[in-house]
Amino acid sequence: MIVDVLSPKERLKKTLSGEAVDRPPVICPGGMMNAAIVDVMNKTGHTLPDAHHTSDKMSDLAYDVYENTGFENFGIPFCMTVEAEALGSTINFGSLECEPKIQKEVFPSVNDVTFLPAGTIENCNRAGAVIQAIYLLSEKHPEIPVIGSLTGPISTAASIVDPMTFLKQLRRERELSHQVIDYVTEQLMGYAKLMADNGATAISIADPTATGEILGPKIFEEYAVYYLNKIADAVHELRIPVIVHICGDVRMVKPQLQKLHSEILSVDAIVDLKKLKDELNNTPTMGNISTYLLEFGQPDTVFKQAKHLLSKNIDILAPACGLSTSTPLTNITAFTSAVKEG
Amino acid sequence: MTESAQQQQQQRIFERLSQAVVDMDETLAEKIATMIVHEGLDCTKAIETGLGEGMARVGKLYETGEYFIPDLLVCADALQKASDILKTGLYQYPLSKGRVVIGTIYGDTHDLGKNIVTLFMTSAGYEVLDLGKDVPARLFVDEAVKWNADIIAISTLMTTTMKNIKDVIDLLVTEKKREQFWVMLGGKPISYNFAAKIGADGYAQNAVQAVKFLDNTISKLRRY
Repeated sequence: MIVDVLSPKERLKKTLSGEAVDRPPVICPGGMMNAAIVDVMNKTGHTLPDAHHTSDKMSDLAYDVYENTGFENFGIPFCMTVEAEALGSTINFGSLECEPKIQKEVFPSVNDVTFLPAGTIENCNRAGAVIQAIYLLSEKHPEIPVIGSLTGPISTAASIVDPMTFLKQLRRERELSHQVIDYVTEQLMGYAKLMADNGATAISIADPTATGEILGPKIFEEYAVYYLNKIADAVHELRIPVIVHICGDVRMVKPQLQKLHSEILSVDAIVDLKKLKDELNNTPTMGNISTYLLEFGQPDTVFKQAKHLLSKNIDILAPACGLSTSTPLTNITAFTSAVKEG
Repeated sequence: MTESAQQQQQQRIFERLSQAVVDMDETLAEKIATMIVHEGLDCTKAIETGLGEGMARVGKLYETGEYFIPDLLVCADALQKASDILKTGLYQYPLSKGRVVIGTIYGDTHDLGKNIVTLFMTSAGYEVLDLGKDVPARLFVDEAVKWNADIIAISTLMTTTMKNIKDVIDLLVTEKKREQFWVMLGGKPISYNFAAKIGADGYAQNAVQAVKFLDNTISKLRRY
């Protein structure tokens, strides 16, 4: 048996600050990449959708996920609807198997957005539960990193404004679009800072609406890169590192990715991580085991794929995208154990 | 003016209309459409050649990576506005090229891609009944039957809901309705192989390909 000399938190912190480590961490940051799968919940009895709402249930389930999956972190919340709910959208909280989703965006267009006072996200109940759960977990388990997950600025904006209209307005109503995204960004910054203040080891931002494929390089740079960086800079002021996840094929936006201020870049399964790392000046990368493979593959295939990623010197191993809640636990443990045995 | 000179002039106007769609110039597209109606030019042809060509060019720009989703949506808006005006100048409604029932499968609420496909199909002359998102298999089948559709088009963005698509096909088979419809799939995690495996008739990678699939398929259907 191999004895780890670094605690999971030390390993993750060192990795994110570019220091050498014994082996890469294997994590699942929560939020869009939620690892609270049905297998774990059925085993422990701490279940969704209840755990979306209170800090004790949230921290219990986060601990269950940590203990059962082998991922070396706590990742909360378990969804990407906290921010949009606070800013006015209606949420369907789903079920044990089905993650929460936006029922209805509150504004038909950027012209209709009501600008709520600063601190609106952090003052809402569910964000309070997230922050409290981060505090509880980080106090109780100082050796395990807690990752606070944030929905990115473009995705949050597209969760409060009808997305079709919003995307058009990024082109047609630039000034107003900037105002709305800046408002959302300021709200997210307050929330992220509070996560950091309460013990988050890192902040992870996933912005699935902001892909190169959807926006194209120009709009991606004008809005996504700019506002992601604004959040990253605010978090950095508190000396907390930032993970940014970009969905989809990033071919179109490679030069723009280099402008991101985050410590590490996480990408989808479609991307050749090794190649991306080489092309981006050896930028630290995270990923990218296929979530399709995790759901439908066999444990030994998952194990081999993890070994393959390890051989490519990927800095952090993680799922490539949102996990299906029906992913078998045995596949996840095959993934995490492949990394841990070195 | 001779007839051919008139036709040439008309053709130039349609080309300007097409260009306005490509340039995302909603105001100009509306202006040209209004002029076409006032001058009593051929509105059917304006829709087919002016708008149709315009959107086809937009589709090409998208496929070559010059246009992205926001651009497509703005072009589609210009087309829609012009089309609404041109339709007021039609003596007879143009024949529908075919009927499509479309929706995002049960469990998935991502409908952006599906909405874009709907836009493209509509602008290419198909009648589309959009069932929205989170659509159960039962509803796909019932609406397709009720509406006498030719095609059932199903989309999903998530790997987690791919398997739900098969429920639609299974339901069609169980109720002996499989032969009544062509089933086409689309969405990020879908592939040609997946579509073939679960017994669908086709797969399209994007909105442009979806229209191509319709054009190729509908020509094989007897009704049209």
